[in-house]
Amino acid sequence: MSSITVGSHAHDDAHAAHGHAGSFLSTYVFSKDHKVIGIQFLFSTLIWFFIGGLLALGIRWQVAWPWADMPVIGKMLFSGEGGQISPEFYTVLFTMHATVMIFFVIIPILAGAFGNFLIPLMIGAEDMAFPTLNMLSYWFMWPAFIAMTASFFVEGGAAKAGWTSYPPLSLTDLNGQTLWLIGLTFVGVSSMMGSVNYLTTIIQMRAPGMTMFRLPMTIWAMFITAILQAFALPVLTAAGFMQLMDRTLGTGFFIPDGWAANNAPLASGGGQPLLWQHLFWFYSHPAVYIMILPAMGMVSDIIACFSRKPLFGYKPMVYSIAGIAGLGFIVWGHHMFMSGMNPALGMTFMVSTMMIALPSAIKTFNWLGTVWGGNIRFTTPMLFALSFVSMFIIGGLSGIFMAATPVDIFIHDTYFIVAHFHYVLFAGTAMGVFGAIYFWFPKMFGRMMNDSWGKVHFLLTFLLLNGTFFTMHILGVVGFPRRLADPYHYQTFHHLQPLNAFMTICAIGMVGAQFIFVANFIFSIFMGPRAGRNPWHCNGLEWQAPSPPGHGNFDVQPVVYRGPYEYGSPEVTTDYYPQTQPPAEGGDKPPTPPAH
Amino acid sequence: MGRFWSLVFLLVPVLGVACFAFAPMYKIWLPKDISQHGPVIDHLFYFILWLTGVVFVITEVALFWFMWRYDSHGRSNPVKFTHGSHTLEIVWTIVPAAVLLFIAIYQMNAWAESKMRNPAAGPDGILGTADDIPALLEVTARQFEWRLRYPVPEEIRKQALGKDSQWDSTKDPIKDLFVVNELHLPVNEEIILDLKSADVLHSFFLPNARVKQDAVPGMKIPVWFRATDTGSYDLVCAELCGWGHYKMKGRLTVESREDFNKWLEERFREQMATQDTASTAKGE
Amino acid sequence: MAEATFHAGAHGAAVHAGGEHAQHAPLEYHPGLPLSNGKLIIWLFLSTEIMFFAGLIGTYIVLRFGAPTWPLPREVHLSEPIGAFNTFVLICSSVTVVLGLEAARANKPAAAKLWLLLTFILGSVFLGVKLYEYNAKFSHGIYPWRPHSLVYEKADLNYAAAVRLRLDALDAQLKGEETALKGEEGSAADDVALANLAEKQKVVADLKVQELAAETKAAQDPDITVRHAELEKLADSIMPLPLHHGEEGGLNHEHRWLKLPIRIPGGNMWASTYFLLTGFHAIHVLVGLIVFFMMLFVTLDVTRAGMVENIGLYWHFVDLVWIFLFPLLYLF
Ligand code: HEA
Ligand code: HEA
Ligand code: CUA
Ligand SMILES: [Cu+2]
Repeated sequence: MSSITVGSHAHDDAHAAHGHAGSFLSTYVFSKDHKVIGIQFLFSTLIWFFIGGLLALGIRWQVAWPWADMPVIGKMLFSGEGGQISPEFYTVLFTMHATVMIFFVIIPILAGAFGNFLIPLMIGAEDMAFPTLNMLSYWFMWPAFIAMTASFFVEGGAAKAGWTSYPPLSLTDLNGQTLWLIGLTFVGVSSMMGSVNYLTTIIQMRAPGMTMFRLPMTIWAMFITAILQAFALPVLTAAGFMQLMDRTLGTGFFIPDGWAANNAPLASGGGQPLLWQHLFWFYSHPAVYIMILPAMGMVSDIIACFSRKPLFGYKPMVYSIAGIAGLGFIVWGHHMFMSGMNPALGMTFMVSTMMIALPSAIKTFNWLGTVWGGNIRFTTPMLFALSFVSMFIIGGLSGIFMAATPVDIFIHDTYFIVAHFHYVLFAGTAMGVFGAIYFWFPKMFGRMMNDSWGKVHFLLTFLLLNGTFFTMHILGVVGFPRRLADPYHYQTFHHLQPLNAFMTICAIGMVGAQFIFVANFIFSIFMGPRAGRNPWHCNGLEWQAPSPPGHGNFDVQPVVYRGPYEYGSPEVTTDYYPQTQPPAEGGDKPPTPPAH
Repeated sequence: MGRFWSLVFLLVPVLGVACFAFAPMYKIWLPKDISQHGPVIDHLFYFILWLTGVVFVITEVALFWFMWRYDSHGRSNPVKFTHGSHTLEIVWTIVPAAVLLFIAIYQMNAWAESKMRNPAAGPDGILGTADDIPALLEVTARQFEWRLRYPVPEEIRKQALGKDSQWDSTKDPIKDLFVVNELHLPVNEEIILDLKSADVLHSFFLPNARVKQDAVPGMKIPVWFRATDTGSYDLVCAELCGWGHYKMKGRLTVESREDFNKWLEERFREQMATQDTASTAKGE
Repeated sequence: MAEATFHAGAHGAAVHAGGEHAQHAPLEYHPGLPLSNGKLIIWLFLSTEIMFFAGLIGTYIVLRFGAPTWPLPREVHLSEPIGAFNTFVLICSSVTVVLGLEAARANKPAAAKLWLLLTFILGSVFLGVKLYEYNAKFSHGIYPWRPHSLVYEKADLNYAAAVRLRLDALDAQLKGEETALKGEEGSAADDVALANLAEKQKVVADLKVQELAAETKAAQDPDITVRHAELEKLADSIMPLPLHHGEEGGLNHEHRWLKLPIRIPGGNMWASTYFLLTGFHAIHVLVGLIVFFMMLFVTLDVTRAGMVENIGLYWHFVDLVWIFLFPLLYLF
């Protein structure tokens, strides 16, 4: 073994302490270091995750026991209504729940936290190509944080037209919707700055020998996600400006002729409500892949590492990410099958949607192929990663029902959809993110998280999330509509209350289980056992840097000789073969010269 | 521990299948189907349910089995050092592709049947919209109720008003019946309704008839189906339309032609008797 | 290579042991494209901008071709020659910025600055002309938004009601002026003012009669279009739709103080999209101007050529967007 990889633990401590020249403010607050920015994103998003979870409990409470007083939280949140959720507040709840979860948790935790932290480390760079821009991309989140928080306190309350904000309903809201749009614009600008920076970094700042096809899946996923962001997001920004103008100036982009409703702006009309849906989904469908591809990448890395086996079908995996991203741009209409859009268009969108299951199938089978014949270590990150695969299959398969237009006639806007996206988003991405936190925590903080408590956290979350979300499929089969504050006065859905109560209890338990995670996380930052450079015996470049890496990341120039997944290679005696380890005599090929 | 975790993962397919197997027994399942095109949709649903069910069980059990079999604990045999297999990649691209294409093509007719064909052109004519076919009624959704407007046939109007009525149908503009939330339809007849919205988006959802269509302000969207069973069912608003979205509830009553006519006549008489009601209902 | 790396590592460790502030290894990279990072990110940024304008232009196309009527350029007082002039100005500015880049590359800072100054001036001319055009719209009562906009889609009862409201308001206003004038002691100037007022009041009174007649006729049955001919006539006398550019007429033109609602079929949506597209484009021009302005304080020698190039790329993009907008908005 080369001395590069031995990574003597002795000077890790020195590293942890070193190198933070400058004031506290420039080191921890306005830092330009990608690792600090990543961790800032991580903390911010975890706090928003908690808020989003509380809002979810509000939803669950109301759906299980409509109009019942909510203990404790009710008093905190809506004391004005005496601990009871009003129908209006219910609409706020799910709108803000989704907004928070999607725009303040999942997207920023994937791209902002892990993208930032991992990209330079995994490609062998000392930082992002544009550190100042990177810092700005975090600080642009703050106006958004403030706008969204403030919106709860303005007259009329926070946005309540659903996270999709369909006009004309969204035009009749009071100030909350305006703040929502402003917040979203800032999130958008932040993401844009991040994505162009990531792309430049990945294209230009790879270590010698790190060809594109030696990149870890995480980086590939981040790369393609950044492309998706760059091309889809501006359209949402444009649409957001237009909705803002419709609301405040009185233009009429999304307002039909001769339209009037309560609180409606004095508008000129002549516009089209469906136009917003097209623009919104043109972004938001690719966005669902923005919300899962990075998780897929990280999960691929974790699974390969703990199966001690090369990733099965590396290139097909890369191509399928690209395939998902490419197809993702031509399927947005599947959210609009019932919207009044030309049904012939629906037919074409149906076919393209079906096709997008193909690259997903390739990914699924390759994960299975990776686990097959491995030497599996059941660590906490591995369990989360495997559950990602297991849950993504469920979420993906339910997508097929909705892609089938005739079936969608029945299940559109029912809990079947709610089940679908919580399986891909919570059971999929969020579980993948938990796995990634456990996996890269040693690199971030130089200490290990407790594995046993991690497993308890996993087990409870895994069981309870299925209890919460699997049953939603069944509700959907009955036709139980989403976004309904009190569904039980419909005779068709009257008998579903006990099932909903069960789901709510599971959800409460699930949120409770997260406190184990929080405690483990905080405790481990300060008291966890020290991690060496490479506690999991992985191949990636990030594991060659000290834990945590100092300013500039690497103390030796990383040179890459092979792909990141050479686990169990017969060429070496260890069961891993780091990317930077020079090949044994006559073994591997020398690194390819820099390509131009 | 590997064994334990594999079993935890095995719970997913076991409980998942159990959930779908037991739900129908507790009547937590597709609501009763009362429309002619409904069985096609239900059939497609079952078809996809079986298909995805099989994929689900195979993949989840495979995952379980690999976890069980390749647990590192107590094993020291070398891993299968492979970077993949071209043949396998091709197989698991082609097979799902074929399956998915099949589903896509298989369902096209059902979609065309319920959203694209011209109702007057018979079940096979997939042409145009129903624009020029007279609708049975006009449904206008508004926050938070369903306004229904039935054109009243000449004979029924006469019957309702009596022979010696002063009313002159050519002069008086009120020739239609206006009701709120009470949707009555004749059984076994092709029903075409024009769906409109007076304010924001709504969605006209009849779970039992497998009908759903958004109502969009500024658009008139035709909806058609044929109810095959009498009874009383829910009419649900399935698109968020404001704080009162949850209570935007209508009632669908499917009845024989005679009963329907009788109802029409009765309601029309009531409406003419109280001109006030009529004008408030009309002057929305 | 591997050896060297090895040594660097050992050296780094030694420094550490000494407790000195560790110097991380200066890293070597393996760039994928023969571009500077700055140029690459500008290209990427421009591709996001392309999507942004694609969204806006897409909106325009959807709304325009989905609209039942769309005004002709002359109906909304758009002047093709002015637009063409502006296009020309912008294209020239693209040329000057390229010449600036050439100069910077040749290490001629003074020449480069001159070219950029010229670009700055051309950009300002563009914006100035744009402002003039906006002003022309505003003076015709065409605003993108309602409270100021005088535009009505058709001469229907809504339109009549708006005219009536405006006339009532004028009436009240003139009455107020009259009492104010009469309250003062009679002087020579007052007679002129009073005569003026009387004339205005007569115009308003005449119009009121005409409006009332048209409205009552149309109100007999709002569904029948024939009866709307009266309203059309009213609208025409207030402000006829221009036949070709430059021709104006009607009461609003004769008496600028009237500011009565006007009728332009499709005019509102036109205004919304016109101001949306040209507005966002103008913001981009403005950003470019600010950057050019800042560049005037920088020595533009060969080391800054990259900077000039990047700004130039942005400027070409802004130019390109206009080259799409001009035909879309002015010619079709
Ligand atoms: C991370 C997020 C994410 C992901 C990855 C997906 C993935 C998919 N989604 Fe989902 N979707 C959402 C998030 C996501 N979705 C959200 C948030 C909404 C609702 C928004 C709202 O209205 O609020 C939504 C809504 C939604 C709708 C609209 C429903 C409606 O409103 O009526 C549709 C319709 O087609 C759809 C389809 C699909 C499909 C086909 C996939 C596919 O990509 C899935 C592909 C994967 C597989 C199929 C599984 C693995 C494959 C195999 C094991 C191979 C074998 C399989 C077969 C042969 C079938 N989704
Ligand atoms: C990423 C996306 C995401 C996530 C993670 C979740 C998570 C959850 N969602 Fe969410 N949901 C959506 C996206 C998401 N949802 C969307 C898009 C909608 C549609 C909205 C609309 O219709 O407009 C929706 C709607 C929605 C509904 C339907 C409402 C309706 O239509 O009437 C319901 C109902 O049960 C629900 C429930 C839940 C529950 C119980 C969770 C639970 O999984 C929540 C669990 C939360 C936690 C476990 C928090 C844990 C906290 C931490 C780990 C951090 C701790 C750190 C610190 C304290 C520092 N959601
Ligand atoms: Cu109407 Cu919801
Ligand atoms: Cu989608």
